[in-house]
Amino acid sequence: MAEDRTLRPSPSPLWPGGPTFDEIDPSGAISEAADRIRSTTRGGLLKQAGAGATILLGLHTPAAGAAAPASQKRDRAILNYALLLEYLQASFYTEAERMRALKGALARQAQVVGAHERDHVRSLRAVLGGAAIGRPRFDYRGVTEDPSAFRDTAVAFEDLAVAAYKQQAPRVQSKRLLGALLSIHSVEARHAAWIRYLAGRLPAPDAFDEPMSQRRVVAIVDDTRFIVAPAKTSGKKRPRFTG
Amino acid sequence: MTITAPERRRLRRAAFVAGALVASAGVCVVVVSLLTTNRSHTSLPPPPRSALPLGRPTPLASDAHLARWAPVSAAAIARRAPDPSAPPVARLDTRTPEHTRNIVGLLGRTRGRGGRLWVRVRLAILPNGTSAWVPRRALGGYVFVHTRLVIDRRRLQAVLSRDGRVVFRAPVGIGKPAWPTPRGEFYVRDRLTSYRSPAYGPLAFGTSARSRVMTDWPAGGYIGIHGTDHPELLPGRVSHGCIRMANRNILRLGRLMPVGTPVIVR
Amino acid sequence: MIGEELTVEVVAGNADHDEPPRRTRAEVLERAVVAGGALLAGGVLITGLPRLATSAPSPKQDAEILNFALLIEQLQAAFYAESLTHGRLRGQLRQFAEVVEGHERAHRKFVESALGSNAHGPPRFRFGETTSDPAKFVAAAVALEDTALAAYNGQGPNLTAPTLGAAARIVSVEARHAAWARVLAGQTPAPVAVDQPAGEGQARAALKRSGLLGG
Repeated sequence: MAEDRTLRPSPSPLWPGGPTFDEIDPSGAISEAADRIRSTTRGGLLKQAGAGATILLGLHTPAAGAAAPASQKRDRAILNYALLLEYLQASFYTEAERMRALKGALARQAQVVGAHERDHVRSLRAVLGGAAIGRPRFDYRGVTEDPSAFRDTAVAFEDLAVAAYKQQAPRVQSKRLLGALLSIHSVEARHAAWIRYLAGRLPAPDAFDEPMSQRRVVAIVDDTRFIVAPAKTSGKKRPRFTG
Repeated sequence: MTITAPERRRLRRAAFVAGALVASAGVCVVVVSLLTTNRSHTSLPPPPRSALPLGRPTPLASDAHLARWAPVSAAAIARRAPDPSAPPVARLDTRTPEHTRNIVGLLGRTRGRGGRLWVRVRLAILPNGTSAWVPRRALGGYVFVHTRLVIDRRRLQAVLSRDGRVVFRAPVGIGKPAWPTPRGEFYVRDRLTSYRSPAYGPLAFGTSARSRVMTDWPAGGYIGIHGTDHPELLPGRVSHGCIRMANRNILRLGRLMPVGTPVIVR
Repeated sequence: MIGEELTVEVVAGNADHDEPPRRTRAEVLERAVVAGGALLAGGVLITGLPRLATSAPSPKQDAEILNFALLIEQLQAAFYAESLTHGRLRGQLRQFAEVVEGHERAHRKFVESALGSNAHGPPRFRFGETTSDPAKFVAAAVALEDTALAAYNGQGPNLTAPTLGAAARIVSVEARHAAWARVLAGQTPAPVAVDQPAGEGQARAALKRSGLLGG
């Protein structure tokens, strides 16, 4: 396939220290989606109805909600944001393990880390109860079935989770909740170092890890197009089966 | 030195007041201390009790009872082998005759020439049981299901299992001898509700199974699993191929069986 | 009395850390009085016991916590520097020590400047063979980084928001160090799904057990 470099996303990293788009997307599926997205402005992307994370977190509509105190509402929003990222990671690792495309140390990492992310999902859902956002549908577009694409995406996800939790920590009102989220944040950093090591990269590239705004994190997640609408497999048409 | 009970009570009250004063006024007001240079004192406050339960990560359960399906996101030619030059087997559409999203059962995958990912899928065409290869790109996200429906044509029974355990049983009507319910491995393709057609009961599942004899049937002659307005005929060989059950049973099945569930007809 | 080391026991919050929590205030008072404290007018007790913070975030408490963090960073920087000076590390271990030493030095400098004149000087560290024997080095590094991160996680909720933001930029790097050291030690990089926080006493005890902090 001839590569027209002018159409592909720029080779600069999505975020400092992170993999370039080309590293994440050898099959080209993600870059095709990005090409479509790049034709709109970043602001335009967030206004589009199709961006999964933006929709799920209700970021473009004023937050609806009962008369909960503002601090509780904020904590709940932070928890749901964390839950979304954990869903993304948990489903990613779970699918990778089930597709059995990974071998050796990478497969072991996916097993252990996947178990952690699934546990994070369970815990966050338990705390949120009825206020938890539902599990989205994902389309990983072959990334879970290719060891090097998996590995590079895992590096991106873990670094992203660290930066996302780090940004939110000072905003959390409840001390107990903050303690819990810090304890997850450090585990995500362990995951990040681990997968980086397996990818032949420096586990700890910098003396200080930087936070990343929710806006930027969500834009990156939406850029992957991993979050998709569930397939519409229900209908109301009159059946025309043989009877 | 001992403290008498009244003194103890007074101390307690005084300390409580002092504590309240301190807590409200802030530490700086009341503290009379110099920062000690002795760093071996433990003086920092404790960590708060965590809001989340202690982590209990568990490995994935075995996938022996797992099936996979994916929606068809782009129309494609399904081929005999994982290669663009292999003979075509069928065209894969994005929609079913019911206008729901078309889905396929996943059977395997491989890397073709040029490193592209191909997936072997179960097709809803005749002959029943046909599988073929499509590029990964034609499919959407994978969905895993833990359920499995077995239709026993001899016992005239439907049995649904979840993770290998039976969760549902019901007597069924199957095809008359001239219009048999085909044997083989299929999957639930869609589910229909809110239609008005008593012959199909309140809920109907479409499957990937096709009637071998009703090939001229409009909309392709697909085998469905649905309710009935003649439950008195069940169990029995009574239909044109569809699997019928009493309406209360199809509703129960509707709560237990997601689309994509494998259907094994024996 | 001013001029000696005085401490005030604030009787409102938990009296003791890292011990079974359910002490009543009466028990605390009794203990304090038995230890020779005197009761001031207004009921504030001045005793010789360690000073306690209320644990509500405040700049003053931040400073105390940061001084504890500084101790940890001083310890880490000294440990890795000494290990490199001994020159017995090779290959991946050496690379690990070199990279991490740079980070810990940067952390120490950062915390020092945050504290300004409130920064405590480092104590004398005695690391024994943990800096000269590669096997002991990697075991000590695992313990050190695991403990550092548990201590940061333990104090994080007690910090004011701005200081927490700064500390958060450090703690994830300590976690990366911990995972890296564990890989090099042949251990699982992430042993649990949720890292347990440590109180100050626990952290100090863990460092002592690993031979990194004196008694």
